[in-house]
Amino acid sequence: MAAEHWSERLQRFDRRWIFLIMGLAVVVPLFVPLNLPTRPDPMTKAAYNTVEALPEGARVFVSIDLDPSATPELEPFYRAVILHLKRKRARLVFATTWYAAPPLVNRYLRETVDRAIAPPGAEGYDGAPDRAYQRNVDYVYLGFRDGRSAIIQAFGSDLRGAFDGRADDGTPLDRIPMMQGLNKLADFDLVVLVSAGSPGAKEYVQYVGTRNRLPMVAACTAVSTADLAPYVQTGQLLGLVGGMAGAAGYERLVGKPGAGTAGADVLNIGTMVVILAIVFGNVVYFAGRAHRRRGGRS
Amino acid sequence: MTALPWIDVVGYWLGIFLTFSVLSFLYKDNPFYKLVEHLFIGVSVGYLIVLQYGDNIEPKVIDAIFGGDLDGVWLGLRIVALVLVLMMFAKVVSRRWAWLGRYPLAFVVAFYAGLQVNAMAQAELGAQIKFAASSIDAPKVDLNAAPAEALTSLPGSSPAVAAKLVAERARQPFTSVDDAATRPSLTDLERADLAAARGHLIGLDARAAVGPGERDAFGLVSNLLLLLATLASLVYFYFSVAHRGPIGAVSRFGVWILMIGFGAAFGLTVLGRISLAIGRAYDVLGRTVAPEDAARIHAPWASLASIALIAGGLTIWELRQRRVQPVPPPGADGQS
Repeated sequence: MAAEHWSERLQRFDRRWIFLIMGLAVVVPLFVPLNLPTRPDPMTKAAYNTVEALPEGARVFVSIDLDPSATPELEPFYRAVILHLKRKRARLVFATTWYAAPPLVNRYLRETVDRAIAPPGAEGYDGAPDRAYQRNVDYVYLGFRDGRSAIIQAFGSDLRGAFDGRADDGTPLDRIPMMQGLNKLADFDLVVLVSAGSPGAKEYVQYVGTRNRLPMVAACTAVSTADLAPYVQTGQLLGLVGGMAGAAGYERLVGKPGAGTAGADVLNIGTMVVILAIVFGNVVYFAGRAHRRRGGRS
Repeated sequence: MTALPWIDVVGYWLGIFLTFSVLSFLYKDNPFYKLVEHLFIGVSVGYLIVLQYGDNIEPKVIDAIFGGDLDGVWLGLRIVALVLVLMMFAKVVSRRWAWLGRYPLAFVVAFYAGLQVNAMAQAELGAQIKFAASSIDAPKVDLNAAPAEALTSLPGSSPAVAAKLVAERARQPFTSVDDAATRPSLTDLERADLAAARGHLIGLDARAAVGPGERDAFGLVSNLLLLLATLASLVYFYFSVAHRGPIGAVSRFGVWILMIGFGAAFGLTVLGRISLAIGRAYDVLGRTVAPEDAARIHAPWASLASIALIAGGLTIWELRQRRVQPVPPPGADGQS
């Protein structure tokens, strides 16, 4: 019996070895950081520049449309952009259109808005400090509304009506001074979208952004980046932060490294493992094909 | 600062255990994975029902109809909505009356189709066609004359850098891009950012100039390629003529462009999946909580305990499986 060709043996390679290698590629750099450089891409830089150009005290609508599975990619951007906005003393209005988001949003507000993210003297941070915001004074949380694209369209025409005129804690919006003159999305200086999928940035662009020429920046999962990038080219989005790599770039621009920067090492090494696995698979495949053409066993 | 409540500590432990239970699927389908699968679906459905009741049914149906706050047309509209909802259930309770369920479905389909047509026409067709039909010309940004917004858009720049460049050129016009990038009013960090982007400012993809009328050659090629790629991709989806001869060649070019697009999407998907793994690794190692909370959770120990528990459970499960269904000897099934 002829000896089995190496490519045939490797075609039966147990794919669980790949899982193990990938697991190690993810875990080891967390213990031994390589501190590989991260550079913000042009779309991330455009998002940063848009926020940076806001006047002090600008009114910003932040839609946090995500679920727990998207937090590794989107939470780093959220934390960085909120610090950036608070440094500009922006007045913030939060809402979500994802049913799984409210528990996350409540935690985010507790950790990043009710408290200072980078108080004076914060370790490893040289930028301007932020401060704790007061609910219904410096920021308002409107809560969750279901209705997918229809509710996003409603935000564009009657934001107060969409939330029955009340904030999430039941306070009538008419009694909140910072809500004066804020009746629809066009009344805001900027719309920031933290978007894990649908409904999210795409629907905001389609249903309200383009029609009302809203200034909008978005952060999305890496999977959605290719879908949303054309909107940046056309100016329908003023900036786009794609996945954890984009978030790492935004953190660098804001000057406060966080989970995105820490994850960039792992992302680089993990991507390298995937590239090597693809090359390995192709080498085995083509070697096997060449062997069969030479008359080897199929 | 208050210590993390025990219920939250237990919650973190549960999260770690459930994470490893899901990962146990990499070994094979097993009871730990099944447990998490059922738990996830049950919790999701339960949470959604409670949320929908509190957010929609109670305030918009029960309170609105029986609370007495609405009357006339508004009350009628809520009742119509309630009737449409009840008609949906006809499909479940009676085959004879199942046809009633088609009316609310028709309403929903028509409503969203109406919304979608308008949105797509404006945001997708209109805006994208307008962009695709724009000039392929790619003039460089004249550092001595361009407005601040154009300077901000340059690689390595920012609104602060653009403002400083405007002030600097008013004092003394720039003689070269390097001259602009090294002016004294720029901070070390800003100079470093501009130096890092120097290749995009003066190299092959030169976007900046110090005089009017210069063209970005790389930008011109890029714009031309974008135009040709758009047209070729559209030709691929044009089925009214046979894809032979010149049309076939253009169509084939379109396929290559589409493949490059799918490749980019696949690469981004891989990045997204690795990010998910990073997120879970952070959680099971206790890196996502404050150090004082991490000291209470002992995530690495909880991870080891979870792995041991799952490995032990899987061993017992395998032994029981073999006792119930003895493993056939190699070759008994006719395959080597």
